[in-house]
Amino acid sequence: MTPRPWLHGFLDLCLLAMLRERPDYGYGLAQRLAAAGVADIPGGTLYPALLRLEQQGLASPSWGPSESGPRRKYYAITPAGLDALSAQADEWRGFRDGVDALIGEHVR
Amino acid sequence: MTALVVAELSAREVGRRRVAILLVISLPLWFYLVRRDLTGQSTRMLMTGIAWAVSTLTLFVVNSARGVDPRLRISGASTAGIVGGRLIAMSGFGALLAGGYFALVAIDQDIDRAWAVALLMLITALIAVPFGSLVGALLPRELEGALALFSVCAVQMLADPAGTVAKFLPFWSGREIGTYAIDGAATDLLWRGLAHGVLVWTLCTGLTLAIFARRLRLERYPEPDPEPQGIH
Amino acid sequence: MNDWPHRFETELVRLGLQPERAHRLSVETAAQAGEHAADPDHFFGPAHLYARHLVAELRVSTFEEKRAEAGRVMLRLAGVTKRYRRRTVLAGVDLTVRGGEVAAIVGANGCGKSTLLRICAGLTAPTSGTVQRIRRVGFVPQDGGTAGWLTADEHFTLFGAAAGIAPRKARSTGAHLASLLAWRPTAAQPVQELSGGTRQKLNLVLGELHGPDLLLLDEPYQGFDQGSYLDFWRQVHVWRDAGRAVVVVTHLLHELQHVDHVLDLGGAA
Repeated sequence: MTPRPWLHGFLDLCLLAMLRERPDYGYGLAQRLAAAGVADIPGGTLYPALLRLEQQGLASPSWGPSESGPRRKYYAITPAGLDALSAQADEWRGFRDGVDALIGEHVR
Repeated sequence: MTALVVAELSAREVGRRRVAILLVISLPLWFYLVRRDLTGQSTRMLMTGIAWAVSTLTLFVVNSARGVDPRLRISGASTAGIVGGRLIAMSGFGALLAGGYFALVAIDQDIDRAWAVALLMLITALIAVPFGSLVGALLPRELEGALALFSVCAVQMLADPAGTVAKFLPFWSGREIGTYAIDGAATDLLWRGLAHGVLVWTLCTGLTLAIFARRLRLERYPEPDPEPQGIH
Repeated sequence: MNDWPHRFETELVRLGLQPERAHRLSVETAAQAGEHAADPDHFFGPAHLYARHLVAELRVSTFEEKRAEAGRVMLRLAGVTKRYRRRTVLAGVDLTVRGGEVAAIVGANGCGKSTLLRICAGLTAPTSGTVQRIRRVGFVPQDGGTAGWLTADEHFTLFGAAAGIAPRKARSTGAHLASLLAWRPTAAQPVQELSGGTRQKLNLVLGELHGPDLLLLDEPYQGFDQGSYLDFWRQVHVWRDAGRAVVVVTHLLHELQHVDHVLDLGGAA
C-alpha cells in the first residue's frame, strides 16, 4: 500500500475523482480506494478530508437513506470541485511524468 | 494522589531489579550470621545491616530518578508529591524487610521483650529511608553516596554506644532500644531511643524535602503581556 | 463507549467551534463510525484528541495557502543573559513566539541552546533579562528523562498523575499520541530495552501528554529513522496548526524553511 505521506498530498484528488464518477458516502469511498489499490485509509484521515472538501465548496453533502442503520451523508462534486479536480489532475500528471522520467525505463 | 502513584511505580521499578533486591535482602543476613551465638551482638549487627541495606537502596532510587523528577515537576507534580512518594515506597520496603528479619530473630533467638526488637528493627528501617535520601540529595553521585553510607554504618557499628559521638549517629536510637529489649535495661532507654529516632527521622525527612524543593524549583514566569496594538 | 460523542462535542466547543456546528459534527462523526460498524473510541481514538485533529484539519482548509494568523504570545524573552561564574553562556537573547508558530534555536555545540531551553522551561533561572511565558508547558530534554525499569504505559500513568490525569485516560492518551509517531508501545517491555529512537518517541509523548500550549523540544529526533523523522516534523506542524507554539533546538539547517523564527546563538561561548 502507498506510504501515508504520499497519499496525504493526493487524497483530495483521489476523492474528487471518485465523486466525479458518482456521489458516494464515506464508507463507500474508503472501499473504492482500497479496491483500487491506492490505500487502506483510516477513518481519522478520510472523514476530516471530506469535511474539508465540503468546507471549501468542492463537494456538496446531502443526506440519503441506508438499508440498515442511520442515514448516510452523500457527497456530490460541485462545479468548483470539477475545476479543482482538473487542475489537480494536471499537477499530478506533471508530477508523475517527472518522477517517471527520473526513475527511467530500466528501473522496474 | 501523585505521591501514591509515584510510590507504586517506584516500588515496581525497584522490584524489577531482581539481583539488586536479592543482594539487599540478603545483606543483613550475613551481618546476623557472623555472631549468631550472641543474641545482643547478632541483633545489633543485624540492625546495622538493615540500616545499610535500606539506606543504600533509597540512595539509588532517589538518584536514578534525577532525570524524571524535573519533568514531573513541569507536568504539574509537587516536590512533596514526588519525593514523598519515593519515601513512602521505600518505607514500605523497609518495613517488610524489618518484619522478615524480626521473624527470623524471634524464631532463632531467645528474647524476653520481642516486641521491642520488632520496634527497633522497624525504627531502624524507617530512619534509614530519609537518611539514605538525604545522603543521596547531598552527594548526587552514587558511588560517593554509597561510600558515605558505608562510613556512617561502620562508625555506628564500632563507636562506643555510651560515648558522645554515638549520640550524633543516625541509628543510635536502635542501639538504645536494643539495650532495653535484649539486656533488660530500664524503660528510660526505650524512651530516649524513641525520641532520638523521631528527631533523626524528622530532621532527615525535612532536610531531604528542603534540598529537593530547591533542586526541583521551577522559575515562576509571569503570563505574557497582552498584545501591543498594531505591531505584528 | 456511549459518551464519546458528548466528550467529542465538548472538546470541539472548547476549541472554539460554534456549539451548533460542534453538535452537528459530533452526530456525523458517530454516524461515520457506525458506517464501519465500529466503536468511535476504537475508530477515531480518544474523543479529545480526534477533536483537536479535526479542528486542525479544518483550520488548514479555511486558510488554504496562507496559514492561520499567529495567535497570542506564548513565550517572550527579552535580554535574557546567563552567566556561570565568569563564563557568559547567553547574552541578551530576545525571542517572541506566538500560538501557531514554530521557532528554531540553532548554533554550534556549546553555544547555550540547551541552557536557553531550560530557562524557557523554568528549570534554570536567567542571570538577567525577563521571561514571560504561559503556564502550561511541555519539555522534552535531549536525553534521559525516563525511568529505565518502567514500561511506556507506566510512564504514561506517572506523567499523567503529575498533571492530575486519571491513569486510564493517561494511558489511552499516551497510546494515541504514540500512534501519531507510528509507534505502538509493547505492554511488558521496560524502557531501557527500547531503541534510542523509540525512547525519544516516548520522551515526546511524555512532553505532550498533559496538552501543553507551548512545547519545548531539545533535538528530540536523535536516533529516529527517516520515517520517524518525517512523522516528527508532520507532528510539529499539526501542533502549530492547532494553535500551539513550538520551540525546537536543532542543528539540521535544512528544516529551517519550515519554521517561523530562527534564533541563531552563533558559535560556542
